[in-house]
Amino acid sequence: MAAFHIEEADRPHMVRLLIIWVILSAIGIVAVLQINYPPYDQSIQGQDQASTLKLLTALATPVFIGVVMLIIYSAIYFRRTTPELVDGPPMLGNTPVQIAWVTISAILVLFLAVVGIATLSSENVAQLVGAPGRSIGGGQTGSGTTGEENKEIHVQVIAQQWYFTYRYPDYGGVETTHLYLPVNHPVELHVTSLDIIHSFWAYQLGVKADANPGVDNIFHVTPQKTGAFQVRCSELCGLWHGHMVDSQGQVVSQSDFDTWIAQQQTDFQTIAKAVPSYAPYYFPLPLVKGS
Amino acid sequence: MLRRVSFVAAGVVIVVVAMVAFVGLFMLPKPGPLAGPPTTLHLETVAAVGQALEWPRPNDPHPDWVGYLPTTTWTVPANSTIQVQIDQEDGATGLRNPFWGKVFGTEGGNMHVTFFDDKGNPQESDMTSIDPTQAAHTFAIPDLGVFVPLLGVNANAPAGSTNVITFSFKTKGPGRYRWQCFVPCAAKTIFGNGGPMSTIGYMGGTLIVT
Repeated sequence: MAAFHIEEADRPHMVRLLIIWVILSAIGIVAVLQINYPPYDQSIQGQDQASTLKLLTALATPVFIGVVMLIIYSAIYFRRTTPELVDGPPMLGNTPVQIAWVTISAILVLFLAVVGIATLSSENVAQLVGAPGRSIGGGQTGSGTTGEENKEIHVQVIAQQWYFTYRYPDYGGVETTHLYLPVNHPVELHVTSLDIIHSFWAYQLGVKADANPGVDNIFHVTPQKTGAFQVRCSELCGLWHGHMVDSQGQVVSQSDFDTWIAQQQTDFQTIAKAVPSYAPYYFPLPLVKGS
Repeated sequence: MLRRVSFVAAGVVIVVVAMVAFVGLFMLPKPGPLAGPPTTLHLETVAAVGQALEWPRPNDPHPDWVGYLPTTTWTVPANSTIQVQIDQEDGATGLRNPFWGKVFGTEGGNMHVTFFDDKGNPQESDMTSIDPTQAAHTFAIPDLGVFVPLLGVNANAPAGSTNVITFSFKTKGPGRYRWQCFVPCAAKTIFGNGGPMSTIGYMGGTLIVT
């Protein structure tokens, strides 16, 4: 076993590197903690994701700075200065160093595993992912009145080439062209598709869910800040995939939501009879159409 | 050493300046022009571009594809009213999502349609929606919130008949807005959304607002 030994000539470099690394890491960690991380805090679930991202970035910063610092320092101080090729001293391994980096790496990975497990076990993530078999079933439901406090609002996201529409089974199955959600009210999203595979991504809300034909994909989100959010498709789905974007999603107050949904219900009456009853998913036929 | 450090520093400065300039130029707002007079957009929708009544394309590489004619790239002024007339010659295919049978985003929330009833007699009416199973195509510019279903020509209409759909909508600021058809009308393609539905120049294109 090779002893942990640093050549006398290398000690100034070691000390210098250590001091630079500590200072830059401290500055780096403070800096990355100031960043407002996506998907920000418009929903409780989004805020959890942003916090996790911030933690991971802070932990990765000293590692990143250490690697880059070593590369730059070595390139400056240890680069070859003579024209002739000279072999460097043989490196036979350094057990203490190996033990140190394996131990530190293991501690970091295990710490992240604990953080990950704790996050997955948290109530917010459990709400986001939901539990299987929680579909609200077929048929139009609800009376169109304001939901009870803390009772989840059900919203169906219907993807189609190349646009998302939304149905609110708690409000007579009304279908809309934009997604409006009341603030501080838990929402159960049911994501499906009428044709091919899409992906519903409400960026600022921290929700991304596959939209598959014949599948009722359930996700939960609780908006906590009013304002606009963007919905886009994140699964390559054909010619206009890049334009399958809606920037008019809105988290609004409960009263504004009630006003908006009432107007949507009124407007929907002109087409309501032609639209099928609310169902977890739809199989519009025929699959191959054309004139 | 100093020379190399200077080169690196200069490189970093150039990259940072270039990035700031790129982001800055991207974010510079440009005001749109004042509203102009109404602009007319006259279009034709057909079952086969090679056999159109008004603007046939017999030499088209896909003469049997459905399409909008005479072109699918339309240039219109910003912040203006666009008056649209669509001469619709195709039969009904039906909407995959019946919701698109409703008219959205037009002035007055409706459209005017001259069509043929089940007895083949000419009729005309203002409509806010149509039977989704009777849609031949849709005129949809999602970013402007415009969705207009186009009623298919009745099977009992005289040969060579055309439904005429007129409506108007307002443009926003300058930009390029995609438009598409929401009827899966591309025959012989899976889900009806291949072929002409996925090819610029047939059932999709760009509205260029200047």
